[in-house]
Amino acid sequence: MSKIFPKSANALPLQILIFLGVLGGVAAAGITYYATPAYLRVGYQPVQPVPFDHSLHAGQLGMDCRYCHASVEKSGTSSVPAAQTCMNCHSIIKTTSPLLEVVRKSYQTGDPVPWVKIHQAPDYVYFNHSVHVNRGVSCVECHGKVNEMTTVFHAMPHSMSWCLDCHRNPAQRIRNPADVYNLDSLTLAAQGPEGLKTAEKFIHDWKVKPPQSCSGCHR
Amino acid sequence: MKRKFDHSAPAARELAGFPPPAAPAPTAGDTLSSLPTKTGPKYWRSLDELADTPGFREHMAREFPEGASSMEGVDRRQFMKLMAASFALGGMGLAGCRRPEAHILPYGRSVEYTVPGLPLYFATAMPLRKSAIPLLAETHQGRPTKLEGNPSYTPHGGASSLLAQASVLDLYDPERATSHTKGTTLLTNAQVNDILAAINKTYAGTGEGLAFLADESASPTRARLVAKLKKIFPRAIWAEYEPVQDEPPVAAAQASFGKNVKPVYRFASAKRILSLDADFFHAEAGALYYAREFAKGRRVTKPTDPMNRLYVVESGFSLTGSMADHRLRLASSHQLALTAALANKILGTDMYAPLTLGLDFPNRDQWIEECAKDLLEHHGESLVVAGADQPVSVHVLVNAINAQLGNIGRTVDFVEVAPANASSLTALATAIKGTTVKTLIVLGGNPAYNAPADLDIGVLLKSVPDVIRFGYYQDETSALAGTHLAATHYLESWGDARTVDGTIVPVQPMIMPLFNGLSEVELLARLAGEENADAYAQVFSTIGQLTSGDSKKAFEKFLHDGLLEDSAYKVVAVAFDPQRSASAVAKNPTVVALSAQNLEVRFATDHKVDDGRFANNGWLQECPDPMTKISWDNAILVSPRLAKELGIVPGGSLLQVARKEEAEFVQGKENAFVGEVTLNGRTLRGPMHIQPGLANYTIVLPLGYGRTKSGHIGTGTGFDAYTVRPAAAMGFATGATLRNTGARMKLANTQEHWSMEGRDIVREANYQGAEGYQQNPDFVNGIGMESHSPAILGADKGKPLAFIASTTPRGNSLYETPNLDGTHQWGMSIDLNTCIGCNACIVACQAENNIPIVGKDQVMRGREMQWIRLDRYYSDGQADAEAFGAEGNKVLPEDPQVSMQPMTCQHCELAPCETVCPVNATVHDDEGINVMAYNRCIGTRYCANNCPYKVRRFNFFDFNKRATDQLYMGPLGTQSEMPELLKMVKNPDVTVRMRGVMEKCTYCVQRVQQAKIAQKRLAGASGDIEVPDGAVKTACQQVCPVEAIVFGNIKDEQSAVSRAKAQDRDYAVLGYLNIRPRTTYLGKLRNPNPHMPDYVALPLSRVEYNKKNGSAAPAAGHGPEHPKAGARATSPANAPESARLQHEKQAGGHS
Repeated sequence: MSKIFPKSANALPLQILIFLGVLGGVAAAGITYYATPAYLRVGYQPVQPVPFDHSLHAGQLGMDCRYCHASVEKSGTSSVPAAQTCMNCHSIIKTTSPLLEVVRKSYQTGDPVPWVKIHQAPDYVYFNHSVHVNRGVSCVECHGKVNEMTTVFHAMPHSMSWCLDCHRNPAQRIRNPADVYNLDSLTLAAQGPEGLKTAEKFIHDWKVKPPQSCSGCHR
Repeated sequence: MKRKFDHSAPAARELAGFPPPAAPAPTAGDTLSSLPTKTGPKYWRSLDELADTPGFREHMAREFPEGASSMEGVDRRQFMKLMAASFALGGMGLAGCRRPEAHILPYGRSVEYTVPGLPLYFATAMPLRKSAIPLLAETHQGRPTKLEGNPSYTPHGGASSLLAQASVLDLYDPERATSHTKGTTLLTNAQVNDILAAINKTYAGTGEGLAFLADESASPTRARLVAKLKKIFPRAIWAEYEPVQDEPPVAAAQASFGKNVKPVYRFASAKRILSLDADFFHAEAGALYYAREFAKGRRVTKPTDPMNRLYVVESGFSLTGSMADHRLRLASSHQLALTAALANKILGTDMYAPLTLGLDFPNRDQWIEECAKDLLEHHGESLVVAGADQPVSVHVLVNAINAQLGNIGRTVDFVEVAPANASSLTALATAIKGTTVKTLIVLGGNPAYNAPADLDIGVLLKSVPDVIRFGYYQDETSALAGTHLAATHYLESWGDARTVDGTIVPVQPMIMPLFNGLSEVELLARLAGEENADAYAQVFSTIGQLTSGDSKKAFEKFLHDGLLEDSAYKVVAVAFDPQRSASAVAKNPTVVALSAQNLEVRFATDHKVDDGRFANNGWLQECPDPMTKISWDNAILVSPRLAKELGIVPGGSLLQVARKEEAEFVQGKENAFVGEVTLNGRTLRGPMHIQPGLANYTIVLPLGYGRTKSGHIGTGTGFDAYTVRPAAAMGFATGATLRNTGARMKLANTQEHWSMEGRDIVREANYQGAEGYQQNPDFVNGIGMESHSPAILGADKGKPLAFIASTTPRGNSLYETPNLDGTHQWGMSIDLNTCIGCNACIVACQAENNIPIVGKDQVMRGREMQWIRLDRYYSDGQADAEAFGAEGNKVLPEDPQVSMQPMTCQHCELAPCETVCPVNATVHDDEGINVMAYNRCIGTRYCANNCPYKVRRFNFFDFNKRATDQLYMGPLGTQSEMPELLKMVKNPDVTVRMRGVMEKCTYCVQRVQQAKIAQKRLAGASGDIEVPDGAVKTACQQVCPVEAIVFGNIKDEQSAVSRAKAQDRDYAVLGYLNIRPRTTYLGKLRNPNPHMPDYVALPLSRVEYNKKNGSAAPAAGHGPEHPKAGARATSPANAPESARLQHEKQAGGHS
């Protein structure tokens, strides 16, 4: 019987294994980098129908986040303001700016301004703003320094593991409740060992127990 | 790296889903334009523009006319085009990886009170015939999604009914009438107004030739407008017709007391209750109030608490009958004889002796004697109630009995009602025959479908030159009317109503009319030529006349409270007048012997579709009937005796079933024989279902099915019992025959087996007696398997519930369970003693948790999705385990006892479902809730197989997404989606699950989380993050009319649920499995009278249990120690009595 396989074929299984190993490694590395929220979401910066400048309003003018995002302390959603809120000022300032035409039209007709959603939790995730901002978690922790953004972009990955990082170790992320809307403030933990102690005391006194069970966010 | 994207404007469809702001309604289109823009506060207009978006118009065009929407919507060519686009995008790179763009669409102008993300609650009410259920409607940005009872109305205490829960779905029914039509042309609202104004003008002054046919209503505004109409059109006919009666005839009260009064029962103060064919848990007006009051007298928390006793005499088998301590099966037509016999005994006369002639049932004399004696012994604390379908004679006799028993003013009040001044349908029919009616306005109702068969109303309607129909659906009556005016839903219209006790409640709109419908008040106001016909103005003016002071303030308070204080009917003192009443009572015997050749037909209001008005409601159609457990159909109910004579008793039992079944089941589908009922020469055909407990020769025909012109859901389900219903005998008729045609029909019966087989699932005891609750308060522990199994909690058995729930080692389980160390530990207790099995919890849960319906075909395959099921068991004391083939097992019980048990996820601490899930999709949270992470679930269904309670539901065909009458056909199939309109009913706080995902009761985790968040938000530095007791109510708990369900934190020893679980009657179903369910039950009690001939010392399910597990006698296989009678646990040797009791208590599943 003639040989079917040459002798060199003996090394083939090993070669295949190594090849598959490398291939698997590359694929895993690729997916880890490219197919996770940290790559896919961070940096997402859509063009909005109105070029609203957060760095001007919240940064330079020092407007409080809650002036526009009024329901953030009460409701699960932080609410994008009605055109009426914009018109509180813009019926006096920049009344003829073409950039604000969309807002004026919305105010007159009632048709909504179609803002493009940047931070979007999946349908099966129930994130609640009010419980975070009332208990020492600042806007900046999830949204980045919006007060420095000309056009808002997705600053944090918002993946489940990222949520859990903080839920498992809230002391690192807590701010003084008075600083929640001050996006330039430091977390307590960043204020040195004393600050960390304050954070831990805060967590103990306020009984901050972020849920780590599925039911905390998925209903 | 930052990437920039340019985006197109959002699609019209996307905008359509968003409630637009409070701008005046734009005038557009012909059919949808002429909405009056000046009406009502602005925040009601949240969805007006929805009615005008292109997507919505397209939807309308596709939905109607029927059949226009078709599978050809997307053809192959179009599919390839679409796919080509996505191939191209795919080829270009990562476009496919990016999630689709979404938009945030804020209001143009802020809306008063509205905070995005938070629901608003408004008081409203659901009118039904002459009563109403006060409600609170939950609205999400102007979209009502869920209704709850209004707690301000104390008689209901925040409870609501099955029908109220489901009524929100009707609002979003895509098949409701969406336009006003005349023939085939559409009418604008302006044209409708012209028509109404023209009628006003034509008939002004005389009304000759004008007739109205309306359904009953208790609306003060309608009453006011009708009075005005009568003044303007003095010769017009105002007729009212309701196919079902739910209040005792006023004529009976008039004859008894000489006053226009109606009874309002005070069940809570009645210790002995006798019901004569009255189903006051369901069919009578005020059933919600009565069920609640009855439960107050039924509930016991300790052995010394009093408990009422219920005697029920009935021909069918109602929920009221299922709660009876003594139930007598007696034909409805024999009830007068029985009432007369009782009246003789109680009044101490023989005046009514002739009436009792022919009355016969086993132990007749003793039954009547002892029942009368028991009532007499409870002077002023007893109550006799007769069903609304019973004739005037019965009601007069009942009034006499109640007067004699001193009950009037104590357990029954008579309240003054306005005299009825409407003509009957028969009178109207006569007028139409005399061709004096030129214009007939049919307000609501559906006479072409539900009028008595011998009136031939269809022909009559056709003979009237001009018929204007005002209705919510284009139904059987609309088909005969030249003009159809689309009615608004009560959640879209201003109105008012009165509850059963007369309290005036507002009907407030939650949303602008979705289809520019017309409200009844506005229609009548226009006909009456009111200057301001707007419904809001009309209701405002009615309330203004009833209140004093600032009418605007009074009206606002009225709307805020949801009721008008002190507006209930006035209770009047009445005295029974024997002379006056004598003439109203029949003189001659009425009893006709019944047999298979002379059957009695009982027409029953259906539990779900009522008189047929809710026939197109999928939630109701799919909800199983509480007694028969048949969904999507009605059936001719026959007694086991009659079934035997007809030869339809199923032959053999299935292999694993020890009992004869009530029907033959083929692969889980009930294979019913089709019967033919003949009554007065009219026939109908329908499937026959054997219902144990019926009077032998009474057949029950549930009304409301067999609709020929309804939507996809209502058309063609069941048979129409109205086709044989005579005008002279609307409640019951004799002289019918039933023939087995031999044909077969499949029914979707959700409970194939009716017996507990002597198992310990529902644990019952008598209230009194040697083995009763008062002697053995912890009787539940003597019944269960736990009394035979090793101790479940080992060394911790004596510890308090709070300790066990949070710290006890989880039974050395190999499976690693999370530490139950959360702030709360949630648990539930269900009191089987007060549960009446009304099914309201099933639909409340469905509404709250976005549970889809699956359709009859899928229910037959056992794929129903309701998270709660109500198990109904019959016991006859015959089950005998050692003799599967024994005589007792071969016959269907003719007179069983019924035990109801709501069953849903028990949230076991050591949950069997969790150990088998390969992907950890079902796990525990730290507060003891067995959670489902839908997104992890891959649909292996192992968990459902391993669940001992069978409470997990699997979504086979994307039931939440597909169109109602179609199934998901895979990624390559052509799909027709659920209409946008139907999606509006979804609760935004609960995930809408897709196909291939397991789901089950979550203890309403969304409500739990919202309460926790609310508490945390407010707690601040106080650290008080524990949710106060009562702040979280599950949907089933909130709706429950009898407060049988208690939910809360079992870590808190003072919480209501902890106190309930601390009761002696607390037990866990299948507790011996050591899975420690968090839901436990309180054992059921029965309170029979030892002197009655049908007294049994033990509930029949206990008799079966003892038969199976050895009798009460010692040495029957239980071990040596039996200190008390009954199947008791063996206690640890030498343990003191107190410790032994403690041991048994814990073994009973305290966890």
